Amino acid sequence: MTTLQLKNITKRYKTNPVLDNLSLDVADGETLVLFGPSGAGKTVLLRLVAGVIDPDEGQILIGGEDVSDIDAEYRGIGMAFQNFALFPHMSAFDNIASPLTATNATKDVISAGVLKVAKLLKIDHVLTHHPKALSNGQKQRTALARALAGSPPLLLLDDPLRNVDAKLRFEMRLELPRLLAAQGATVVYVTQDYKEAMALGDRIAVMSQGRIRQIGTPEDIYNTPADIEIARLFGDPTINLLDVTPKSGPDGVYVELSNVKVPLPGMPASVVGKTSVIGLRPETIVFTDAGASGAIPVTVEAETPLNEKTVTLVLTARGREILVSRPAGTPGPTSGPAHIAVHGNTTFLFDKESGGLIRSAAIPMTRNGEAA
Amino acid sequence: METTSTLEKTLRLIALTLVVIFFMFPIFWIFLMSFQTNETILAIPPSIIFTPTLSNYAALITGKLTTAAGTLDIAFMRNLGNSIFLSVTSVALALVLGVPAAYAFARHKFKGSEDIAFTLLSFRFAPPLLVLLPLTQYFQWLGLSDTYFGLIWVYQLICLPLILWIVRGYFEDISADVEYAYRIAGHSWFATFRKIALPLAGPGIAAAGLLAFIFAWNNFVFALVLASADKQPVTVGALAFVTSSGIQYGQIASAIVLSVTPTLALALYAQRYLVEGLSLGAVKG
Amino acid sequence: MSETALFIKGVDKFYGPIDHGVHAVKQLNMDVKKGEIIALLGSSGCGKTSTLRMIAGFEAVSRGTISMKGREVQTFAPVKRNVAMAFEGYSLYPPLTVRENIAFALKASRLSQSVVDEKVANIAKLLEIEDIMGRYPSSISGGQQQRASLGRALIRDADLHLLDEPMGQLEPQLRALLRGRIKHFIKERGLTAILVTHDQTEANALADRIAVMEGGVLQQFDTPQMIKERPANLFTGTFVGEPPMNVFSAGISGTSDTVSFGLNEGVKLDYKASDFSHAVRAELMKRSKVVLGIRPYAVRRSEGGVGAKVAVNQWLGDQTHIAADFAGGTMVLVEHDRTNLTIGETVAIRLDPSSLHVFDGDNGRAISHGQELA
Repeated sequence: MTTLQLKNITKRYKTNPVLDNLSLDVADGETLVLFGPSGAGKTVLLRLVAGVIDPDEGQILIGGEDVSDIDAEYRGIGMAFQNFALFPHMSAFDNIASPLTATNATKDVISAGVLKVAKLLKIDHVLTHHPKALSNGQKQRTALARALAGSPPLLLLDDPLRNVDAKLRFEMRLELPRLLAAQGATVVYVTQDYKEAMALGDRIAVMSQGRIRQIGTPEDIYNTPADIEIARLFGDPTINLLDVTPKSGPDGVYVELSNVKVPLPGMPASVVGKTSVIGLRPETIVFTDAGASGAIPVTVEAETPLNEKTVTLVLTARGREILVSRPAGTPGPTSGPAHIAVHGNTTFLFDKESGGLIRSAAIPMTRNGEAA
Repeated sequence: METTSTLEKTLRLIALTLVVIFFMFPIFWIFLMSFQTNETILAIPPSIIFTPTLSNYAALITGKLTTAAGTLDIAFMRNLGNSIFLSVTSVALALVLGVPAAYAFARHKFKGSEDIAFTLLSFRFAPPLLVLLPLTQYFQWLGLSDTYFGLIWVYQLICLPLILWIVRGYFEDISADVEYAYRIAGHSWFATFRKIALPLAGPGIAAAGLLAFIFAWNNFVFALVLASADKQPVTVGALAFVTSSGIQYGQIASAIVLSVTPTLALALYAQRYLVEGLSLGAVKG
Repeated sequence: MSETALFIKGVDKFYGPIDHGVHAVKQLNMDVKKGEIIALLGSSGCGKTSTLRMIAGFEAVSRGTISMKGREVQTFAPVKRNVAMAFEGYSLYPPLTVRENIAFALKASRLSQSVVDEKVANIAKLLEIEDIMGRYPSSISGGQQQRASLGRALIRDADLHLLDEPMGQLEPQLRALLRGRIKHFIKERGLTAILVTHDQTEANALADRIAVMEGGVLQQFDTPQMIKERPANLFTGTFVGEPPMNVFSAGISGTSDTVSFGLNEGVKLDYKASDFSHAVRAELMKRSKVVLGIRPYAVRRSEGGVGAKVAVNQWLGDQTHIAADFAGGTMVLVEHDRTNLTIGETVAIRLDPSSLHVFDGDNGRAISHGQELA
């Protein structure tokens, strides 16, 4: 285990900054997920830490030590690549052994080390195969085994599950926390899949355009996204965003959706009259009866199942599209007119102009849509 | 559907046969000529029915050329030896110098690297005749003319740019991540070059080496001007068959057959690597 | 709705000589009704793309017949079949703008300019590409190209719309919305569509019926609900469903009142005989080895269940995925609330007989799916 600190890192290609004055602290034994769209600079950041490219400005400290003058091979890092980057002319065994052959270890020690990590990743039966003869899943596991073999204190995993199918990805998502915990390493994990980020990260750093936009626990990011963009990146289906202008009433601030009042408890009066965007996560919207309080009339457009959920696309009277999701197997309308209400959990109000989060508010309603 | 595909196959076969005949016929004809005397070769109409003779090959190997005007000494076997020596040494030197340079150009983009690489390539643009005269002068001053060393040096003009540019492409095709992975695993850059880059670019290096060998082997002008009789390769030596009493077609044909054989054998042997190398599939994990 | 739009009968596809080449599609029989959306679902190399290409006419049929509107079309050139296709590689015409690309599909229809303009505008709005209509394919993102390509296929008035991996490149934030809109668009116009996909979410979201393919063989052809609730075999059961179905091999024993499954590590699941119908029980008792399957969302935590040790607890915002060590394997639970279990804690889980799938231990064929569907 070790710590990792990045201080004011800038990296440019030609004149475009790929990383722009970026600072980051990763604690001892922590799994930090770098999450963001492609081109955000995640991979460049990992390569800087690994030492295969150098920053234009700034400092990288591993275990408190400045590593600017330390070459990649002496940094004590294990890394797994998105495209696996296996050595095609070497067997799986030799691939995994490569961090060990760099040491003065004897053949027996190397063999034992490779076998141990191969068993852990369930690939001990294919060690004699060359990468060409491995299935995609086995390649991915070999790449991971190679990263782990030298028991490095710092592990860099660059979207290691990107190129495997959904089923394998899911299995590895469940397996990785155990593997990483057993390894006891400090981990920086890059992904574009928000589910992976939430499942694996102790903290998530949301990156875009070479900067960290928000850093926090999965809970922080999901429940208090810093702005609209980040709110849109987490959640499947994506958060519903509707333009609103908050109004003030006797019970506090509210917004109107299809002429129905949706109260925003705890929202400061300063937002009244300000052009805003309300963010409603699909799972916080429920179907309800016409008579229920806060029921908004809608028309059901289409219903589609999604990972144990049912997602319904509805249109409000003004033609605004809203996605509603509910656990699969629970009842709900499939077509025609219906009513929705916002329940429990969290609703967000963003500033229309800057996109920044004004506040998240818990709307006190129960799951069946009745006011609590 | 089956009928059309059979027809398609037949047509394809015919087209391929025509192409093969077109390209192979001269070689086939030369092969026949090498077993004929000048009289049967020059007979009109030409015939492919003749009594084969080994006299052409015998003359080449013994170095005695019998013409109507008398007997001439020719140094064909020595020429052949020169060709082999010059080509092999030149390619070996070009590989030693060119492969590391190609790696540097592929992996390290430094200021002016493209310009240097392009300058090296531009050696191939200039017609050899243009540089020949000054080169001859320099070589005479330096005492390099008519030495193997001088010739091998000049042959680098042919081999080095070729190897540099072809091998550079192969190095660039190796995913940088594969090399990074080896570095991060704890190996030095030189170990990475030796254990990862070289083996992965191997087929490409072999292909480039073979091409350079063929170019060196076929070179004519440099050797014609810069080498005297005892250092001349076959390309220049073949001029000896144009004698005062006529052109010795039979001997020329057999000389061609003999001089083509080494490159042909090499190409056939290396074919597997060439196909692998040229199809760029060498580095996919 | 009952008119048959496409009828595939006994189709084989060989690459190379018939009976000796690579057998990509094996004895395929399928029917598609007018107005239906069909998904060909499978992993790469399962034969789904070959099938689509044979329907489109880009690939010759080695054996068997393909009929459209009652006519055999397998020898027809693609242009004669009146099908519209969206290609996986987008294949937009580079010298044309997105608008021209989409309008190009209507060239043959000889519609008036105003009608064409209106249709193109509708499609652009549907696919959220209004702002890039004047751009060239090389200057837009992969997801935008794919939407443009989809637009070019959907705008046509064809007998059959073939969509090859139509949404694979789409921006994740748009996927759920566009799936809903496209389904609505196809249904509203009564179009018949066949889509090829390896993404079961897409298949489930769009299709009326899904054809699950593997190894060139059609494994099951049924509605998404039936495939999920009554998978024909172990392959379909574990392939469709996200997260995948939990499976455990088990021995089987029983008395007149009970049915018991013996799993690894001595785990025993006892059920009342009345939990299974007579016919199912008779089938079960013929075997000594079966494979039990249960979907992650159907596993319940409840008092008096079998113990399982929590290994992973992952909260994904609107779902919690829990993995627990169970009978020498891993049991995955999906809960729709925020659950916070401690790693290492033992939870009691119950496998309700009504959600239990039982497959033959040898050939993987389904024996029972708990109780009859409601």
